[in-house]
Amino acid sequence: MRYLLLNQLIRGMMKEANSRLSALVDGLLDWQIEHFIYVPSSHSAPVIRSLEAKGIPGVMANREEEAVGIAGGLALTGKRVAMVMQDNGFGNALTALATFASSYHIGFPIFANTRGGLGEYNAMIHSISDSAPDLLKKLGIRVENLGISDSVEVWRSSTTAVSKLAVIQRRPIVTMFESLHPGMETIK
Amino acid sequence: MKRIEALAVLDEVFASDPLVITCGATAREMASLSRKKTHLPLLDSMGLTTPVGLGIALGHKGRVGVIDGDGSLLMGFSILPTLKAYAPKNLIVIVLDNGQHASADGMYSQANVVDIAGAAKGLGLWTAQCDSADELKKLISSREKSDEVSLIFVKIETGNTPNIPFYLADPAKLGADFIEAVAG
Repeated sequence: MRYLLLNQLIRGMMKEANSRLSALVDGLLDWQIEHFIYVPSSHSAPVIRSLEAKGIPGVMANREEEAVGIAGGLALTGKRVAMVMQDNGFGNALTALATFASSYHIGFPIFANTRGGLGEYNAMIHSISDSAPDLLKKLGIRVENLGISDSVEVWRSSTTAVSKLAVIQRRPIVTMFESLHPGMETIK
Repeated sequence: MKRIEALAVLDEVFASDPLVITCGATAREMASLSRKKTHLPLLDSMGLTTPVGLGIALGHKGRVGVIDGDGSLLMGFSILPTLKAYAPKNLIVIVLDNGQHASADGMYSQANVVDIAGAAKGLGLWTAQCDSADELKKLISSREKSDEVSLIFVKIETGNTPNIPFYLADPAKLGADFIEAVAG
């Protein structure tokens, strides 16, 4: 009985989380996103799959710094491009973000799902994820946050606003967004 | 062929096309020869030259050139499968291979012990190799109507051209110039 209640609770949380990921995609579509570059992630997969389903051309990069290079190149041609990744990948991306995107004043938004919080199953991922916002801020890169407690409307409008701001400011801006692992439904 | 001779050819061939240039002595020597708004020298960001070129090629209708080095390409070798997967036919990557990190005290690069052109070919990429200015010009010209991405590995001499000053351009200005020239 206890397990059934817990499962119902998790299903409810997953539904809430998924509606927010849909709102993030809607916010990118409101911005009229033209391309997206991503590094594979189970947490960001609903965003990636949804953008693909909407016909937005995506490029899968093998590493985060590679993704920064490709996204920056597209932005330099005037395209509206976003990056989708996990926060544990910022260790790979920092030099590229600092010496290329920030230094050359190239504006594009980066949406990174957070890891290492409640419900996390990975024992060590918090050792980079917890520090990622501070590392970015130390480099002068703006970090915004979207949490499960924020409304669907806030997710949608913030996504559009951050994307516009990155282009206007000619700088990469990171949005850290909370999501739940798709496998959470089966964790006992 | 010296690096600066290869750069002179590439400056001429990609006269009005976007051209991404790897860091260190390569960017410095190109700046001593020519400075165009369509040039995007990466003043640091080693390993990022070809990824940036791929992004530009995906967003730009015309031909795009990349001047990478063997050391820089090795530092971001994971871009090769990505190039194959997305294969923009308007992208020509020139790898100037001197088998060393000429801007890092001439340390040998691993291109001395592995065949990086062979590795690229093994991934299914179109590759060619040359070691003279004439061959380089002909190879680029032959890719005019190519239907896939091109990688040309150019064997160059070791070392750097002496007495070339440091290139102290403002990267923000380089970025703004490039956007103005390429994106309008």
